[in-house]
Formats: sequence, C-alpha cells, structure tokens
Amino acid sequence: MSTAASPGPPTSTSANDHPHGIAPLRAGQGHEFFWRRLHSLSGIIPVGAFLFEHILISNATAINGATAYAHQVRFLGSLPFVLGLELFGIWLPIAFHALYGFYIWYRGRANLISYPWLGNWMYSLQRWTGAIAFAYIIWHTYTMRFTGVDLHEVPGASFGKVQHELFITPLFLFYVVGLIAASWHFAYGIWLFCAKWGITVGERARQRFLYICIAFFFLLSAVGLASMAKFRSMPQQPTDPDGARQIELQTK
Amino acid sequence: MAENTVRLKIKRQDGPNAQSRWEEFEIPYKSGMNVISAMMDIAANPVTKDGKTTTPIAYDSNCLEEICGSCAMLINGKARMACSSLVKNLEQPITVEPLSKFPLVRDLAVDRNVLFENLKKVKAWVPVDGTYDLGSGPRVTPQKQEQAYPLSNCISCTICMEVCPQFNESTGFVGAATISQVALFNDHPTGAVLKEERLHALMGDGGIHECGFAQNCVESCPKGIPLTRSISRVAGQVMVQTVKDIFSR
Amino acid sequence: MTMANPKIIVVGGGLAGLSAVIKIAEAGGNVDLFSIVPVKRSHSVCAQGGINAAKNLKGEGDSTEQHFDDTVYGGDFIANQTPIKNMCDAAPGIIDLLDRMGVPFNRTPEGLLDFRRFGGTLYHRTAFAGATTGQQLLYALDEQVRRYESDGRVTKYEHWEFLSAVLDGNRVCRGICAMNLRTMEVRTFPCDALIIATGGIGAIFGKSTNSVVCTGSAQSALYQQGAYYANGEFIQVHPTSIPGEDKLRLMSESARGEGGRVWVPRTLHDKRDPRSIPEADRFYFLEEWFPKYGNLVPRDVATRAIHRIVYEEQLGIDGQPMVYLDLTHIDRHTLDRKLEGILEIYEKFVGDDPRIHPMKIFPGMHYTMGGLWVDFKQATSIPGIFAAGECEYQYHGSNRLGANSLLSCIFGGFTAGPEALKYAKNVAKTSVEVPSSVFEAERKRQMEINSRLTSSSGTENPFRIWRELGEIMTRNVTVTRYNKNLIATDAKLVELLERYRNINLSDKGAWANTSFIFTRQLYNMLQLARVITQGATRRDESRGAHYKPEFPERDDANFLKTTKAYFAPDADEPRFEWEMVDTSIIKPRPRRYDMAK
Repeated sequence: MSTAASPGPPTSTSANDHPHGIAPLRAGQGHEFFWRRLHSLSGIIPVGAFLFEHILISNATAINGATAYAHQVRFLGSLPFVLGLELFGIWLPIAFHALYGFYIWYRGRANLISYPWLGNWMYSLQRWTGAIAFAYIIWHTYTMRFTGVDLHEVPGASFGKVQHELFITPLFLFYVVGLIAASWHFAYGIWLFCAKWGITVGERARQRFLYICIAFFFLLSAVGLASMAKFRSMPQQPTDPDGARQIELQTK
Repeated sequence: MAENTVRLKIKRQDGPNAQSRWEEFEIPYKSGMNVISAMMDIAANPVTKDGKTTTPIAYDSNCLEEICGSCAMLINGKARMACSSLVKNLEQPITVEPLSKFPLVRDLAVDRNVLFENLKKVKAWVPVDGTYDLGSGPRVTPQKQEQAYPLSNCISCTICMEVCPQFNESTGFVGAATISQVALFNDHPTGAVLKEERLHALMGDGGIHECGFAQNCVESCPKGIPLTRSISRVAGQVMVQTVKDIFSR
Repeated sequence: MTMANPKIIVVGGGLAGLSAVIKIAEAGGNVDLFSIVPVKRSHSVCAQGGINAAKNLKGEGDSTEQHFDDTVYGGDFIANQTPIKNMCDAAPGIIDLLDRMGVPFNRTPEGLLDFRRFGGTLYHRTAFAGATTGQQLLYALDEQVRRYESDGRVTKYEHWEFLSAVLDGNRVCRGICAMNLRTMEVRTFPCDALIIATGGIGAIFGKSTNSVVCTGSAQSALYQQGAYYANGEFIQVHPTSIPGEDKLRLMSESARGEGGRVWVPRTLHDKRDPRSIPEADRFYFLEEWFPKYGNLVPRDVATRAIHRIVYEEQLGIDGQPMVYLDLTHIDRHTLDRKLEGILEIYEKFVGDDPRIHPMKIFPGMHYTMGGLWVDFKQATSIPGIFAAGECEYQYHGSNRLGANSLLSCIFGGFTAGPEALKYAKNVAKTSVEVPSSVFEAERKRQMEINSRLTSSSGTENPFRIWRELGEIMTRNVTVTRYNKNLIATDAKLVELLERYRNINLSDKGAWANTSFIFTRQLYNMLQLARVITQGATRRDESRGAHYKPEFPERDDANFLKTTKAYFAPDADEPRFEWEMVDTSIIKPRPRRYDMAK
C-alpha cells in the first residue's frame, strides 16, 4: 500500500531482511572457543597457582621474619631456568590473561545500572578487580624485579626492599588494594571456572561453592595482610649488600 | 499508588531509520490493568497527555497470558513481559521502551528472529524417523520428565538475551535460551543422537564460551527456567566433548 | 497428469497448520507457511489441560469407541460422525507420535504416559504436559518444522497477513494474496493447493480467552469469496475464566479435573473470608445438580449452571458475576506438580495464590465449534482450499469436549496435508500456467481496499467500533440467546458496518501499521459476526452451547442439520442452507449429565 503521510519506510522489502542486529551463532566457525577457554584455564593454571604460591607460601614466610623470607627468596632464585620459569610460567600467562581479559571486557556491555543483581555485580567486579590487579602487578613486578637491588643476586635484601615500599603510606595502600583485588579476582575466578566448565552444575552446589571461594578470598587477603603487617611492624632491615649478607648468613 | 489515572511515558519510533521520541499519556485507571490493556486504551483514544492526537502504539502481543513470548519490552528500564506487568505494581510514570538489542521495527516492536536462527544452528529438535505410527516413545521416568519440563517451558521471549551483558553485536553470543534448549534435547533419549553436533555448534564463534556468568538471564526469566544450570551442564558436556575430540579425532 | 513438485501454501502456524506442513514436507512436497506471528507464538500455546486419546492405560476399559461416543454425545449429535470416528481411532497413534517427538508428557512411576480426567467423560483419557500441554505440543511440531525449514522444504513467511485467495475464472484457488505486516507490501503467491489453519474468532466477542490474532479474518475473507461457513452459531463459552481488563484468561478444566470444586456461599453477601465458611454454608451447586459428573460436567452445562447461580439465584460472590473455583483442599505438592502453570497465571494476573485462596472465576468466550465448511477430506467448498483446526467446523458438533481441540487440530492437519498434496498433484492445470493477470487482478482488488481505508477521513475510531461489536456479541450471542436480542444484534452489526465506511485511521503510516491491519480485520469480523448471529437466530432449539430459553429442548425433527452460510455479494449479507448430518454410527439420544448416559 502506499499513502501520502507516512513515516519513511526503509528500503528493505522483506520482513527478514534486516542488515543490523546481532548475528546468529556461527556454528563450527572460528577459534574464539579455544582462546576463551585458554583464558579461563590460564587464570587458574598457571596464574592462579602462582598467586597461591606467592601469597600463601613465599610472602607468608615473611611472617617468620627477615631471615626466613630471605631463605625463601634464595630458594626461588635457585630454581633451575628461573628466567624461563618467570617468563613462561608467570609473565606471559599473566600478560595473556590480562590482555585477553581486557579484550573480553571490551566486548561485553555491562548493565549494572539496569540490573543491579548480585551475579551482575560480580560480573563487573571481576573486570574491575582484574584491571586493578594487573596495574598493581605491572608496577610491583617492575619495582621488585627490575629496579634497585637484584633480589636473585642478593636475597638477603628482600625483606628490606619490601619494607622500604611499605613504609610509604600511599604505596602501602596500593599494596593493600592490589592484594585484595587480586585475591578477589582469583577466588571468584575459581568459582566462575567451576560454573563455566560444568563442574558446579546445580544452583545449590554453586551457592555452597561460592561460600568456599569467599572463604578462600578471606584467607588470601588475611595472609597477605598479615605478611604486610609483619613488614610494617619490624624496623627497617638493610638493603645494602653488606647488611643483606648479614641476614643471609643467619640462614646458614 | 493506584490513583484514578495512569501515567505512561512511551518511546516512539516510526521505523528503523527514524528518530525516536517520547510521548506521555495519562489515561483512567481500571482495576487489574496491565501495560497492554493501558496501550489498548490508548489505541481507542490516541491522544497524548498534552492533548495532541497521535497514532496507536505499535507493539507485538498475542496471548496476553505470558506464554506466547511476544510482548517483551523494557518497562521502567527492565526487560519484562508487558502482559504480566500489572500497573498497580509499577512506579509511575511507567516508562515503556522497546528491547534494546534487537533491530527495531516500529515503536515497541522489534525483530527477534535471531533466536529462531540460533535454534536451527543447534538442531533443537528430536529427529524422529517419521510421523507414521511407530508405536509409543521411549519410557521416561517422572523424575526425568520433571527435569525436562521446565526447560521446555521457554517461550522465546528473548529477555534472557536482552539482559545479558555478553549478548551484543561484538560477541554475537547465542544466548541462554538456545543453550537451554541444547540441554533439553541432549537429555532426550532420541534427541541425544544429535548431541555431538549440537555441542560442536556451540563451540563456534558466539557459542557457549561467551557466557560471562553474570546470571541476569536466570534472574529475569519470566518462566523461572534454571538457565544457569543449563549453561553449566552444557558447558560441561562441551568440555567432555573437547577432550574426546582431542583424543579420538 | 500428475505434477512432480507441487507448491502448497499453509496459512496459520498453530497446531493444525504445522501438522499439515509436517505431513506435506515428509511426503516430499514444498510448503510456504504464512503466519501473522512467528509460528511459535501461535494461539495453540494457550491450551492448557491436555489432549484426549483412549489409550486405556488406567485399567478402566476405555476404548476409541467410548471416546467417539463421548465426543458425539458431548457435541449433541450435530457433528458428522465418520470424521469424528476417524479422529478418535487415530488419537492413540497421535499421542505416541507426540511422545516420540519429545513432548514432556507427565509420566507414571513406570515411565508410561499419565492421563487425567476431563469434562464430559468418565475415563482418564487426557494426556498432559504439566499445565501447558498446548505449548508443549506446538513446540514439538514447531521444532519438526524448523528441521524441515533447515532442509529447505519449508519456507516461512512470518509477519504476513492472509488477505484473500486468488481464484481463477472457474473459482478455483490458484494462490493467495497476502500483506507484509512490516513493509505493508501486498503480494500474491501462487500455489496448487491452499490449507487454511487460522484458528479461532475470539476477537469478534471483544474480550475472550483467545489470543489477539484470533480474529477469524481469514475465514471471513474466504466466506466472502464464496466458501461455506458452517455451524457458526455454536460458540463455546468456557465456564471458568479469569475476568481481566484486556482479555479473559483461561482457568483450565484440568483445575476441576484434578479435584477443583465450584461453589458459592449459600447466602448472598456472606462477608466471611471464603476459607472460613463452613461446608454447610457452601453451595456446591454443580455437585448437587449433577451428582454423576459433579464438577466435571461439559462446558456448556457448567456455564449455564454458573449463569443460573449468578443471574437467577442471585448468589454470585458479593453480588458480582463470579463464583469460587476452589483448589485449597488439595495439597500443595500435587497442585504444583500437576497444575503449576495455570496456578501461576492466576497468581500473576490476579495477585492471589490459588493454593491458599479460592479462585474467582466466571464464564468467558472460548472457542468456536463452527467454522469453514469442509468435507471429510478437509476440503472447503472452494476447489483447492482445505481447512484444518479451529477454523473449520467438523469435529465438535455444538459443544467441544475439553482436550479434544488439540486432537482435532493435529488430526485435521494430518488429514488436510496429504489430501491437499494429493489434490495438488492431480490438479489439471498448475498455478504456474495460470496467467499473471489472475494474480494481478486480486492484488489490485486488495490494494483498492487499502487505499479506500487510508483515504477515508471519517470520524469513527476502529477500536471503538470493535469494543461495541464485542460488547453486543458477548451480551446477546453467547450463553443465553433470545430471538429478539439476536435480531437487534444483527441490526447493530449492520449499523457498525455502515459506520465502518466512515472510519478514520489515526495512523495512515505505510510501515508496520498495526492499527491499519486491525482495521482490515475488523471489517471481516463484522461480516462473520452476522453469520454467527443470523445462524443463531435461525436455530430455534437448544443444543449444546446454543441455548434459547424460548426453545429449551433439542429439536432433532427440525434442526438435526448443519447450518451452512454463504455470502451473497449483492445483498452484502449471509444466506443459509441446511445440510443433513451424518448419524450413521450412533443414533441420537437425549444428552443428560445428571445421570449416566
């Protein structure tokens, strides 16, 4: 039909001919599945596993004092192919996990304002905590690994080097935020992993596992904070080679 | 709250390429009124609050019992079925907008054909041999039936897709409704014959891996379908299939 | 000459249409499927209770003969018996097929199909999938059609409105003329056979339990093109619907099937909370009046009983036209398992929990037993056009039994599909050979109707005409009919048709103009309303759903006949003929539900 007064109809002639709109499933096409699942997995192994070790084991030894801490750092530094381990076991996986994570974030359309439900909060929180943790990790790796005294050469200076940063309040707060963000990102990431890989299938199973993951988050945060408290409670330990050697000698 | 009048603010758009605008209406309240019956009253007297004559509002609706899935729209900012949105439960003025993630047809009507395309891609059916008499179907325990029935209640309203942060033009995510149908048909004794094909389809771009588990789908599903359970189950099946593929292909 | 690959068009994507499509596609035919809405949103989804088949899985000695007898008896003997017998015989096989297609029917502990009791029978004969059987059945067929669609056998035209059939010089159907509901394009589509499966006509009664698309527009268009319309006066009013502003929502018969009891307080204006009214002060009128069938009397009987309680005995709740339908004595788990879907509807749309509060219900227009006249092969009186489902008249006589409609849709479709294919393969001249002028002429005719509408600048609002139509049809042409009122109604319809000529479309847009489409449908509704009303006027007896207090008895001597209406274009009104009813198998006997039959 044709009429005079009419809102302009588009040129399309068929009802199903809509050039815009979200594409249907591309069954059997593309490689996103591989990369998404690799991203998901890399968050657990090796990135998560490293975080677990870093907070709950290595840094927790600081609670036993500067000597024990130096001992742990020496042990890590003495691992074979340490640079290779760092590169392929930690840095590259973290870089991939983070950068692909940003890509995932970029492709999502968060809608917390319209739908402020718990799961949706967690969805956005996972992205925010990921970004914070990544910023923190870059800075932390840079200052600890690539500036000042090389702790692989001088493990005894480790405690003092960390203390040096933690005594500066803004940096201390950055540590706290970074720790909590990373811990949450990891703990909820485990929950997400289990939900997305079909491990926790039922609603109640997911609910219960969420409690476990939250408990794990508290554990990570608490141990991390306790380590930091230890650094802050001790007098500044030496970071110069001689002082460091003194600390190291006590480990023998 | 239910006074004598109802105020509605409705987003109008004459066509896919036209400019959108808001129109406000004030109509007499009737008990039991819902958003559809309010729009029916507007159609019978299409005059805005300012006394300007306008056109009846275009929207999709059919059963008005929340079972055909037609009348999904954004009401006070949230995706829901207009027929079951009782005016007395809504804050006024009631804002009504079309779903935001589907090509707009006119006013509140959008094109949701993508869901039906997705159902084709995952072969959401039981491949029977034929419609001639082949005797009764496979025996099914009441427990199995009670598991399948809720999934089979999906009305294709696409609200789960609208509210999903991952369902958008850059991911082309398939959405919860389709994944849940995969769960349904993979469970069926005869439907399971296509299980592998369905899982492989869901490994394609826009497949199940795009789910970010924000869980808005399950929160907003008007039929209360356990969508996250379906997603998780099918995701598990997909992973098992992946492992099988690695070792047996 | 037989044609290798004929083209069939099916209009309507509900149960009947999809059933026909599946049969044709399976036999290797190609189908174009037209539907106003995406087929998965068709009105069939609204059927709640179940589908009948005498599988006799409850050790009651049920048989297809019993099912046949119940159906004929329930329909008060005015239906042709041969097709009903075929349907009842086919029913168990249809249930098996649906079962194989994956319909999640409720199960017994042994894993077999469960059956419930429905109105008008003493047997557990109704297979059901929760309280959404229609939805489940439609989806199963929709999925099969989607499968054929993927294979390229079926092409869907969703969001298209059927306007008319394209008839050649010999009045043989050669295609259809349809309109795209978005682009508003009017186009013709050739076909070698056409199946109409366009469902109900609820919109003629304004508010009904039907969906918005159930306007009867397609049937009416064909009637105006020369097809017979049969038994239009038999309109089923469902005894238990939930009154609403926009529509009447069905409260399924399964609520009574599962033990729901209908009652009112014995005294008017009983101020007590219904739950605190003791048994002695409750009037279970269906159980008292019909001890044999109790709450499960057929729909027409229950409807009239409720009307009597409300309008004659003045016992409606609080003086309102409503009675209680009570499920509160049944335990919550059973209710949730068997009736959850329908209870949710009540809860959602009324706001009370029917597990705690007795529901308030009242009869509402629900179904048309009448429809396009068809022969035993589902062929209408126009060569090349077949019909199946609610839009045809064949299976329910003057009153449809609950859970027979889904069955008749599928059986009708399963019959119409192959018959249409057979017809199309043997048609003397294929649609391809028909000169294009035939198609162009019909398209032009429809375009002219459109331009008349858009250029009309009168004062009448179509939606207001529709409301008046609905009100008068509901008041005078549903439960209780008086000739005086029927004649007045027809006069009113003539007036409305006159006013229709003076219509003013508030929206003259040429894109997705829903009110334009509605206005077109409205004209067809008005024409069909006259068929219903005049048919009722002419039938001076009471039979099934058709009840005239002035003629309270069934009159087989004069009216055991099918009403056949046809359109007289010059007079612009219906003309009527009678046709004898096939009672070859069961001899008509009085229909009573206060005792065993």
